[in-house]
Amino acid sequence: MDRLGWAALAAAAAMIPLFTSNTYYLYVAMSVGLLTIVTAGLNVLVGFTGQTSLGHAGLYAFGAYTAALCATRAGLGEWAAIAAAIVVTSVVGAAVAAAALRVSGPYLAMVTIAFGLIVEGVLIEWGSVTGGPGGIFNIPKPALRTHYWTVMLAAALALWLTANLRRSAWGRAFLAVKSSEVAAESLGLSSYYVRIAAFTVSAAFTGAAGALFTFLNGYISPDSFTLQTSILFLLALLFGGLGRIAGPVAGSLALTILPELLTRLLDYRLILYGALLLVSIYWLPEGVVGKVSKARRAGSRTPSPRPLPLQGRGSKTPSPQRGEGRGEGQPHGPLLTAEGVSLAFGGVTALADANVAVDGRSIHAVIGPNGAGKTTLVNVLSGYYAPDSGRLALRGRRIDGLPPYAVARLGIARTFQTAQVFGGLSARENVAVGVAGPRLGAVLGALAGTPGARAREAAIQARAQALLEALGLADVAEEPAEALAAGLRRKLEIARALATGPLLLMLDEPAAGLSPAEITALDEQLTTLRQQGGPAVILVEHHMDLVMAVSDRITVLDYGRVIADGTPDAIRRDRAVIEAYLGGAP
Amino acid sequence: MLVQLVVTGLALGSMYGLVALGYHITWATSRTMNFSQGHAVMAGAVVAYTVFVALGWPFPLALVITLAALACYGALVERIAVRPFFLRASPAWLLATIAVGIIAENVAQLTFGKDARAFPSPFMQKPIFVGSAGFYPQELLVPVVGLLLMGVVQLFYHRTSYGKQLKAVAWNREAAGLMGINIPRAVMASYALSAILAGVAGVLLAPLLNVAPQMGTIIGLKAFAVAIIGGLTSAPGIVIAGLGYGLVEAFTAGYISTRAREIVGFGLVILVLILKPWGLMGDKPSRRV
Repeated sequence: MDRLGWAALAAAAAMIPLFTSNTYYLYVAMSVGLLTIVTAGLNVLVGFTGQTSLGHAGLYAFGAYTAALCATRAGLGEWAAIAAAIVVTSVVGAAVAAAALRVSGPYLAMVTIAFGLIVEGVLIEWGSVTGGPGGIFNIPKPALRTHYWTVMLAAALALWLTANLRRSAWGRAFLAVKSSEVAAESLGLSSYYVRIAAFTVSAAFTGAAGALFTFLNGYISPDSFTLQTSILFLLALLFGGLGRIAGPVAGSLALTILPELLTRLLDYRLILYGALLLVSIYWLPEGVVGKVSKARRAGSRTPSPRPLPLQGRGSKTPSPQRGEGRGEGQPHGPLLTAEGVSLAFGGVTALADANVAVDGRSIHAVIGPNGAGKTTLVNVLSGYYAPDSGRLALRGRRIDGLPPYAVARLGIARTFQTAQVFGGLSARENVAVGVAGPRLGAVLGALAGTPGARAREAAIQARAQALLEALGLADVAEEPAEALAAGLRRKLEIARALATGPLLLMLDEPAAGLSPAEITALDEQLTTLRQQGGPAVILVEHHMDLVMAVSDRITVLDYGRVIADGTPDAIRRDRAVIEAYLGGAP
Repeated sequence: MLVQLVVTGLALGSMYGLVALGYHITWATSRTMNFSQGHAVMAGAVVAYTVFVALGWPFPLALVITLAALACYGALVERIAVRPFFLRASPAWLLATIAVGIIAENVAQLTFGKDARAFPSPFMQKPIFVGSAGFYPQELLVPVVGLLLMGVVQLFYHRTSYGKQLKAVAWNREAAGLMGINIPRAVMASYALSAILAGVAGVLLAPLLNVAPQMGTIIGLKAFAVAIIGGLTSAPGIVIAGLGYGLVEAFTAGYISTRAREIVGFGLVILVLILKPWGLMGDKPSRRV
């Protein structure tokens, strides 16, 4: 939706009470507003981060009951009660997330369902506080029209905050974790932490909506907070448009007004919901909002949006680049050492007592026949596999046993055998994820779009732009990453890895699937990188011409063992290597 | 009191285990599951009630018809709610199966009516007394049949050729496909089998719980809790977790209160997942880089 559309919608919503004083209409409109707030928050979790919660009714209940208790027992005013509700729900949300997000898929669904059911059970059982099945009565209600504007303002605010969040480093991190957890961790992002943040934000929104719900009704009971409510929240978001900023509005309008229009079909309500859910999943992968915007784009063929103007490029803005300068003054001796590393999968030996030492600023190739353990070595060095034995050290510091994101933060970047670009993000945003790495700033700043957050963002964008230009990707900067050709994806992955400012860059078969011309270009880029004082490189590659041309040193693996290690010339003449490759008699 | 609680706990627990085994079966072959498995339990009870009580047909015939209907139901769920989203992200099939479940509940409301009805059983006529504890023979029948059936399912998987094929699909889908096993059909078969188990649970539970369209949700959720506690990838884990869950529930209801039953049960799930994220006996999914 464009600015004009948003303005028209806001104006229409603001003016409703001037034209009607019909309590019923206002009530329905406010219900739309409340559902919008909940689904906007849920959008951060489900739409951006890709985690499903079936327990948000429990968080809604926490918001509603906290506000109700503050207003009735503690005698707090409306605003203080709402603030308390948001705080309490955020804390509860963070705690649930910390427990729930260690698992994913159906396990996560179970934790959230269990949370919702426990909350519902406690609301009924703990009568002395919650009023039991009857709930809490006589909550002081603000004037209807005033409250109407409060709700609508809050809904508008919720949408604005999520739009800000989506454009920030946090928003990109959410989508990166959703698209490829493995790749996100290679850039220093802890997917667990990022997901907890998303869950907490969505909990805060839901809590605010719960508090507003309390002041709308003046009465709350456990009936409003069942598993069905959680499913309804998800349905509204799905129908409106997962991941779309306007999705919550469309979904909330449809899911609130439709049942009101069809009150005569009350007996068929579940069929209606079920069918709507199926329709959304089958035919509306991006909801009605996605459908409409796609149809409009096809109709008008507007040019793709122009890139953001880059401010203060290369000037005083605090540069988020990190690794540069880190390599200076480093002691002589190896940058990375692996000693006696062994790893077996089941009974199959992938690495057996492998020793590798990589010097700073060098290009170190790892070659060997298929299944020799090259990729396994890269996965061990980057923390994805824990070795069974042996030790790894980066500039003398032990790194074995560290999770991938911690290894990445120490300055080891990598690419993957099949390029793992973040789908749903543009090429520019992919690189920006790498630039920001784990330094995402404050979530609250990102939500509100504070000047500080904007300055950070400008610096991130400038650095991303520079990297895109350096790798010849400037022309495709705004293209969706998943739509790029294979060669460009590989380049993009290298740009993204370089964006973290690493001490060591590991490239896993970067030349696979590239044309001869592209391989020559890659050759030049690697050489340039070294001349410019870039990171050390570990190059896993089958393409011998490339390896011989660029490498300073080569390690040869066969059956998980290091069978040779030396300069390209020495390797070329090594008997064991020739046998391993040509299958000569032992 | 003690004996009574143990009997009730084992009866309910074996049924949770049986239904939970249905989650395991489809999870193993396809890494998907019917989130509305509880509605299949309800469907079993409703169909059996309709044929056996309302139409008055003999029980064995009613049972056969019920199980056949449930097999079709399971296949239908797979066809419309799972297969289109087989390899897509989890929210799709998860929500699609929920959608089918709530539609099924509504259909049951429209055809069967909203009110709960008693399901007569010869084993519910008069209670047996052991000391001061009284319970119905049905409560003894349920765990016996339940455990027996779980054994049969294991035999099916380990001894019959088709069972072994299904196991192969669970183990390595790609290799099984290359060996000429029809994967979509194997997945559909696992859904049919899973629904049949739920249907049996429905028939066995009907005399104890009464039959109603809304009976499915909570049974399905508890069975799901059992599957998660035991570990989705482990059939023995699920059987043990089922019996354990039933006992915990019975004792909580007996010594604290009926409503606390759910709080304690679902609290237990969260606790187990914090301590053992993939269930008591489940495998941690391997990470693919």
